Amino acid sequence: MVEVKNLTKHYGRVKAVRDLSFEIGDNEILGFLGPNGAGKSTTMNIIAGYLPASGGTVTVCGHDIKEDAREAKRCIGYLPEIPPLYPDMRVEEYLRYCAGIKGLKRSERKQQVEMAIRRLQLTDMRRRLIGNLSKGYKQRVGLAQAIIGDPKLLILDEPTVGLDPTQVSELRKFIRELGKDHSVILSSHILAEISAICNRVVIINKGELCAVDTIENLERKMTGSAVLILTIEGELSVASAVLEKVSGISETLSAVDYDDGTCVFKLRLEDEKVRQEIMSAMVSNNINIAEMSMERPDLEQVFLELTGKKDSGLGSLENPERK
Amino acid sequence: MFSLYKKEIQSFFFSPFAYVLSALFMLIFGFAFVNRIADMDSSVLQFSFPDMFYNNFFYFMFIIPLLTMRSFADERRGGTEVQLLTSPLTITQIVLAKFLSIVTVFLFMMLLSLFFPIYISLHGTVIWSSLICGYISFFLWGLVCIALGMLFSAMQSNSIIAAIIGEIVMEGFLFLDQFGGTKLVESYPHLNSVVTWFSMQRRFLFFAQGMFRLEDLVFFLSLTVLVLFWIILYIEKRRWNHR
Repeated sequence: MVEVKNLTKHYGRVKAVRDLSFEIGDNEILGFLGPNGAGKSTTMNIIAGYLPASGGTVTVCGHDIKEDAREAKRCIGYLPEIPPLYPDMRVEEYLRYCAGIKGLKRSERKQQVEMAIRRLQLTDMRRRLIGNLSKGYKQRVGLAQAIIGDPKLLILDEPTVGLDPTQVSELRKFIRELGKDHSVILSSHILAEISAICNRVVIINKGELCAVDTIENLERKMTGSAVLILTIEGELSVASAVLEKVSGISETLSAVDYDDGTCVFKLRLEDEKVRQEIMSAMVSNNINIAEMSMERPDLEQVFLELTGKKDSGLGSLENPERK
Repeated sequence: MFSLYKKEIQSFFFSPFAYVLSALFMLIFGFAFVNRIADMDSSVLQFSFPDMFYNNFFYFMFIIPLLTMRSFADERRGGTEVQLLTSPLTITQIVLAKFLSIVTVFLFMMLLSLFFPIYISLHGTVIWSSLICGYISFFLWGLVCIALGMLFSAMQSNSIIAAIIGEIVMEGFLFLDQFGGTKLVESYPHLNSVVTWFSMQRRFLFFAQGMFRLEDLVFFLSLTVLVLFWIILYIEKRRWNHR
């Protein structure tokens, strides 16, 4: 669907994007992740054909964005960071205009506009002036203009910024639905969003590609060894003695007695299979297991690891859902 | 392209914008008209429009930047430029659609001003040849000024500043016109030929006599095309230099 090869972009002396290469398959939702100023918007602007690249090529649906711009642009629906809206137009009128500049045939326009209005639930707002709409509705109108003409590729630049939690979850649901029959590139600096929607992620930092992979693969790669969290009912000393006898535990990371009859152990295992041995050891010593779970690094840790921000705190990262 | 043209036209006519500017235009025209009538010799009921056109144009030139100021500056400011440039439309189509829509508003204003010759023809004689040539020259100059106004709008993201730069350049034209008639310039034949080449007055004189010269047509049209081409290049250049 989309092929980005050795993409480079200079702004004067500043290199905003360096040698970026990745692909997007049919009906795939690709997350585009990076801290602020990493070059996400620049890359998306280049793919959409707004900015020319300094080097490298972008091919959309087999059309080069530079050489065959007209055909390539026909395959793209783009929602920039700031939705491109005219405040003095009415919703329906605006969408009809969008259908027009996208070069749809007259007979298709009405049907496409109706489809967009229906899919984004804008029916009650169709006669309203865009300038009077709330932020959430403006974003929806922005998305509606992107899906008009049923483009095969949708580029969405931070579509959920500034929306309230209900709107965010609605929008995510909608994007997931779109992903069934469209390719979607979704940029965000919110990790939870990417892991909730996307099949695959591209992580960039300072204009350079850090990783392209599925979320599961990235998480798995980060799991150097398995960490088990074990909550038992019983005495700490007794349980520790039992655990010592189990082979396959490489390290006891922490052991806390909560003084309410439960203790929590954090153990590093050589293999996930050691779990069963721990389980049977506990049972045979009459210690009840209240909870047992594996700790997995999530996308956030992967991200911090890759962008080298592990120690610098979460400064530019927002992660409202996980905190 | 037609959709963009239609949207531009609507943005003029669905808002007070076109009407307020037309009113201003008619007011200026009306004042000049009244002065002319009042100044007339009572025995002659012939009315020469070209002179009036010429004077009016000096005022009208200052309306044009107001008409063109929003064309690109507002698109840039509102973030809608991205949409235009990522649509399958080419930059040439975008510039032409916008140019034609402003020309349409301009024609609408000229149409309104037809009121005066029609009124005169009911009560006296109108010299039609000079009137038609007056309108043609008015229109041709308008094209150049509109293209220039759009260029300044493309260079700015603030429409007010685009308008002010437009006014400054129009003021420059006015100066050139009067400067061309000064004794200083007339005493230097080379300088004189350059200045009068750009001067409206000289071209106007021919039109005023009801003469339509190919030279003038080529002058105005090529100037318009040149400036439109400049706008296209400018937008293309800005895409490359974008920050």
